[in-house]
Amino acid sequence: MDGPAIITEHLTRTFGQLVAVNDVNLRVAPGQFFGFLGPNGAGKSTTIKMLTGLLAPSSGRMEILGVDLTANPVEVKRQIGVVPEGMALFGRLTGAEYLNFVGRMYGLDRLTAAKRTAELLEFMQLADQPKKLVTDYSHGMQKKLAMAAAVIHGPKILFLDEPFEGVDAIASGTLKAMLQRMISRGATIFLTSHVLEIVERLCSHVAIIHRGLLVAQGSLEELRAGVASQAAAALQEDGTPGAAPPAGEKLTLEEIFLRIVGGSRLAEQELSWLG
Amino acid sequence: MAGLSSAVARGQFAAIAQVRWQLFVNSLRTIRGRLEMVSRVMLGFGLTMGGLGGAFGLAAASYYFTSHDQTEWLALLLWVIFLFWQLFPVVATAFTETFDSSNLLRFPLSYPSFFMVRLVYGSLDPATALGGLWLFGIWMGVTVADHRLFVPAGLALLVFALANILLARMVFAWVERWLAQRRTREIMGILFFFLIISFQFIGPLMARFGGKRHPDAARLTVFLLPLERLLPPGLAASALTHFSQGDFAAGLAFFGLLCAYTIAFFWFLNVRMLAQYRGENLSEAAALAAPSRLAKPGSKQKLAVRLGWNVPGVPGPVAAIFEKEFRYLSRSGPMIFTLIMPLVILLIFRLSPGKSGPGSEGFFVRAPDFAFPVGAAYALLMLTNLIYNNFGADGAGVQFYFVSPVRFRDIVLAKNLVHATILAFEMILVWTAVCFIYRPPSFYYTVTTIAGVLLAAPANMAVGNLLSIYTPKKFDFGTFGRQRAANTTAFASIGVQAAVFGIGALSFLLAYVLHKLWIATVLLLGLAAIAFVCYAIVLNRVDRIALDRRETLISELSRA
Repeated sequence: MDGPAIITEHLTRTFGQLVAVNDVNLRVAPGQFFGFLGPNGAGKSTTIKMLTGLLAPSSGRMEILGVDLTANPVEVKRQIGVVPEGMALFGRLTGAEYLNFVGRMYGLDRLTAAKRTAELLEFMQLADQPKKLVTDYSHGMQKKLAMAAAVIHGPKILFLDEPFEGVDAIASGTLKAMLQRMISRGATIFLTSHVLEIVERLCSHVAIIHRGLLVAQGSLEELRAGVASQAAAALQEDGTPGAAPPAGEKLTLEEIFLRIVGGSRLAEQELSWLG
Repeated sequence: MAGLSSAVARGQFAAIAQVRWQLFVNSLRTIRGRLEMVSRVMLGFGLTMGGLGGAFGLAAASYYFTSHDQTEWLALLLWVIFLFWQLFPVVATAFTETFDSSNLLRFPLSYPSFFMVRLVYGSLDPATALGGLWLFGIWMGVTVADHRLFVPAGLALLVFALANILLARMVFAWVERWLAQRRTREIMGILFFFLIISFQFIGPLMARFGGKRHPDAARLTVFLLPLERLLPPGLAASALTHFSQGDFAAGLAFFGLLCAYTIAFFWFLNVRMLAQYRGENLSEAAALAAPSRLAKPGSKQKLAVRLGWNVPGVPGPVAAIFEKEFRYLSRSGPMIFTLIMPLVILLIFRLSPGKSGPGSEGFFVRAPDFAFPVGAAYALLMLTNLIYNNFGADGAGVQFYFVSPVRFRDIVLAKNLVHATILAFEMILVWTAVCFIYRPPSFYYTVTTIAGVLLAAPANMAVGNLLSIYTPKKFDFGTFGRQRAANTTAFASIGVQAAVFGIGALSFLLAYVLHKLWIATVLLLGLAAIAFVCYAIVLNRVDRIALDRRETLISELSRA
């Protein structure tokens, strides 16, 4: 595949008066581990929902692996794996039944689906209690199962909406190992997360969305350089040029993120009743 | 119950009522919410009319019995109300909904408050409303006939109403507890199997003992009648009878026994409620063996995963959904309970005592040919909960259907295939049961019933598929009273049933007038063909409709 794995052109989604995603143009190259960041309500989940067919865009175009998503959704869905916000699990199946079901929905034959189910359950350390229903799994176990379901058919692109939310360190390690293995085999991963340390460690490229607008996109180094040059160019209140980060100091992704989206504001109002 | 009267408890009750009111008001913001409201009003109007009609009838009957010194006949009225109150929530799950109060446990709610909230909100159902209204009718009738009974009859009927509310809640709570575990569901399956087997003995037994006066049966009736008087409806009636005769001591004794029943129901319900209040988890995980017994850490035991089902003639994804749906059903106590009800109803009709005198047998004994059509129609009605809310049990899992590379048409087709399979299985069971309990239905009635079902099933599925997408509602398969469809769906479903049954009745009428019964069969088959075409049209448009409505579908079913 020569062209980008994911392209969005003027992607927009409105809910009544609210413009949740506003004219977003994304380019994700094949094999990239792409982090899609933004504060709460910025439009991350809305974007990922549109890219995976869970939500219709109000306008704009999406192309996945060279195929127009709106025109040919089934062809696109064959090649992608998704862990959506709500995980999309069927609670009253066992983990094995669920994975088997998902495998067959992606067109695997019965034998292959069963074989991969067993392997994935072992890999995710979910094989201990084969008769346990998904609804009785802990949150972390459900995340691992959702991740296993997303990869059972060997997708070329993986869309993950907050895969590390509510996951303990052990489960997180398992998930990261699997994602890195996929990247090393040429898959593309598109991930949203609030855990910026993880994104910094895993992702080669990042985009930041704020109030529906794409405000930054590029490799981490490109973002660092962009922030530094912006800081230097900005005029302070007294009219003197702003200070760029000292040479040799490497901004963390969290610092870059806070500078781009405006940082956090401490509550000025005192909550006296909290003690 | 001191905690109930505290200012904190009152504030909590007010807060719960307010939040429910606010949820209702917020639901009116959408067109779907407003449609729900209109449907609710119309359904409520129908129920109120039925309730008021029943209340007037019962008031007249109880006035007659009391003024003619035949108060012992009040037992009959009270038994009817009692059976309705207890059976309606099971046979009409589409109209029954229990309040999910599990979220309340995170608040500092005292146990008495929790109990009251569960009881009060759990009782806001048609059975309680109608039962209460009918008891009020009886009270009015009795009081108008004899003013002295105003207070004692009021008290007896009030306690009887309370006993009904507590018993219904208690039975649901305990059955839910038992059916939550796989083992108890298997036991129920075995009992069901024995029930089916036992059908073959009912016919010969009834033929031997039912048709003639039998001294042993008469003795048994004499023995059973006093027992009837020892059950809540009989006790309430006996109390009223003795109060009306001025025998207050005996009346109070029966009233006391009725109170004892009520307290017993309260106690049994209390046991379950207390367990729920303490955070009981009814999941099957607790019953599973400890993980250490299944897999030792570090052991390289290979996990064996069973192959998915192979359904002949259907593609893999459709077979996968077919399997998933059956697994869901097999793990839902309430749904299994609902699906065996047609057979239970046939049995009840056969075993229920008729009036004395000539023609004392039940309707189906006199007209056994109608048992199969009625049983089949009832089986279809029981399935409408599933047919009209295809995705209700999937919850947030419905998102998977939208990200998977399977057309929605195939998903809906697979679900309909499951419904059709269950319906066919139920029809065979009903037919077999009718053969054993009554007599084999004639060829004509069998074929015509099948023709009627061939019309009703695709018609219901076509409308059901649309309503499943337009007005979805999340189901909880594991809890009694949480399989209720949206009001709009229930209302539309009544319309479809009325149309289908009306068409069936017209076909029969035409055949009867022309003295050619086969005309009804041919007409029904012709209409079934039209229904199939409509079904196919809907099925081919489901993809587009589901994509257009995906946001509503996902948000409605992903609700916590």
